[in-house]
Amino acid sequence: MAEEKKEYWRWLESRWTNPNINWRQAKIITGGVDVGSVSTQAVIMADGDLYAFANMRTGSDSPNSARNAFNWALEGTGMAETDVKYTVGTGYGRVNVPMAKKAITEIACHARGANFMYGPTVRTVLDMGGQDCKAIRIDDKGKVESFLMNDKCAAGTGRGMEVFSDLLTISINDVGKMSMEVDVEPEPVSSTCVIFAKTEATGLLRQGWAKNKVLAAYCRAMAGRVNELLQRVGVVKDFAITGGIAKNIGVVSRLENLLGLKALTPRHDTQLAGAIGAALFAKGLLEKDLKK
Amino acid sequence: MFDQFKNWYENRHEYAKEWKAKTGGKVMAYMCTYVPEEILYAADVLPIRVYGSHEASDLTEQHIFGMYCPFCRDCVAQVMEGRYDYADGVMISQSCLHMRQVYSSWEIHKPTEFMYYMPFPIAVESKHARPHLAAEFKIFIEAVEKWTGKKITVQDLDRGIEILNKNRELMREVYKLRLLDNPPLTGVECMHMTSSSQMVDKREHNQALEKLLKELPSRKTDRETGIRLMIVGSECDDIEFMEMVESLNSTFVADDHCTGSRAFWNSVEPEEDRLLAIAKRYLERPPCPTKDATKNFVRFHHVMEMAKEAKVEGAVIIQQKFCDPHEIDIPLLRKRFEDNGIRTYFLELDVTVPIGQFKIRIEAFLEMLRADELPF
Repeated sequence: MAEEKKEYWRWLESRWTNPNINWRQAKIITGGVDVGSVSTQAVIMADGDLYAFANMRTGSDSPNSARNAFNWALEGTGMAETDVKYTVGTGYGRVNVPMAKKAITEIACHARGANFMYGPTVRTVLDMGGQDCKAIRIDDKGKVESFLMNDKCAAGTGRGMEVFSDLLTISINDVGKMSMEVDVEPEPVSSTCVIFAKTEATGLLRQGWAKNKVLAAYCRAMAGRVNELLQRVGVVKDFAITGGIAKNIGVVSRLENLLGLKALTPRHDTQLAGAIGAALFAKGLLEKDLKK
Repeated sequence: MFDQFKNWYENRHEYAKEWKAKTGGKVMAYMCTYVPEEILYAADVLPIRVYGSHEASDLTEQHIFGMYCPFCRDCVAQVMEGRYDYADGVMISQSCLHMRQVYSSWEIHKPTEFMYYMPFPIAVESKHARPHLAAEFKIFIEAVEKWTGKKITVQDLDRGIEILNKNRELMREVYKLRLLDNPPLTGVECMHMTSSSQMVDKREHNQALEKLLKELPSRKTDRETGIRLMIVGSECDDIEFMEMVESLNSTFVADDHCTGSRAFWNSVEPEEDRLLAIAKRYLERPPCPTKDATKNFVRFHHVMEMAKEAKVEGAVIIQQKFCDPHEIDIPLLRKRFEDNGIRTYFLELDVTVPIGQFKIRIEAFLEMLRADELPF
């Protein structure tokens, strides 16, 4: 009987409710749903504070992914979907969020979310998402001033890291930490394309490289790739990272070294930035509607 | 109102074949808009510009390097697919090496009865450029006369100039309507009009333009203009891309590219020496980056004037991937836009248009331009 294949790339789904908020006392409850290519987040905010969230893998269709995440975020709170007065959809599936009244791009939402998560001093945001990454310059309100996205390849994105996690049979949660366990930093592998990088890594393993050394080479390549994107948009302090890769110390620390700049420490799960931004926009849009 | 132009654009090859059957005339497939179409009309030859099809093809790699621009790769695919097999002649006027490669592959693998490479001055502002180009035209005329067996007279040249000038002037009239607060046409419609002018007999095109100009000023559209955009680049007949952008509450109200305004913007001014007159027109037209070689930045001035006149709020700079002449221009051009308070967004085009990937970028760009509409 064939051994069941372990999916090393699978990261843990999560949900959370803020125990310090009684949503029934809130005046405005809004939602933000970020349907990304790899993960979906639903966020519920009460009067502009984070009340609950759910973070799940995106399924094969966007409406269901949005629905599942939204329902999970509400689970156990006693809150019904109708209590959420305005929801904004974002992410690549933004137009397919059934409960959303409006769709706003993840660039605007990540900018706004980063402003909330890291404070008004943030001027440069790097969102390292599932299949793309974005370098965004923002003002003190979280308004986008300029942005750049990666080109077609997924090198420098979460999906690329998942490919390596599977290749090296190391859990995605451990790859960053393991990549730091090298005495001498190896040369980076190719950063042009995930498949090229994987081919190169396979060769290195055959040469006898330890897994952590290969990971170090890939994390360094990824840091170099996103650094190029950041340099093109121009890096201004303070600097913050959103998205799943922000949790990968192997990439973050190497990127910080390249930039000569420390990334701010997040107050919340970095994967939530887009959904938080969407929920904040929802609050503003609802207030605007109520004034009419 | 624009159906005729769209139909010509979409059925360009059928049109050319029918034109041949109807007139018994010769068709010249040409590359680059520095080809003097006046001379071809004078010779009763139909010039049609070679376009790509925006379809992936596996016929290019053996002819053209992967790091040559997608447009030239797409064009060579069309040739090798046999889509231009009806062409009696093929010519190019020198502009960039990538298109030159298309011509060379064509000449090697599918030669027609008339193959012509026309040298064209790079330094268009040099005092030597005009006599040089007029002399090249003279050599070209001799070659065409030999090919067709028909002498090209001054009257023939005047007829060619008149047809071309009329086409240019009529399209300029349409472009004036794009300057209105609520333009009665979209960028896509305009693209169908300008592109089809490079694909059909301009006498027919002129008739369609005259009809259009009677109706267009009073046309009521049910769409909002939204953000006023300019599109800037090399060859960009990417209809699908433009449709996507214009579906996001925006309208292209100005353009600078060689499938649009750059190809027809100025006319031939009457002069005793017809060849010098035609040469002047091509040397003084809004230049392609391959011809804007001095530090006078003629193209940049022209682009900024257009942008200001059209009250452009944002510029989409699109470049055929690996197009070196544009690549060199783009950083300075973007700075020129930004210095004039016009935000820009840059995109690289490939043979096929990745609509989903571009949509997110364009949407975010438009959100940036209308940031006041989002609550902060």
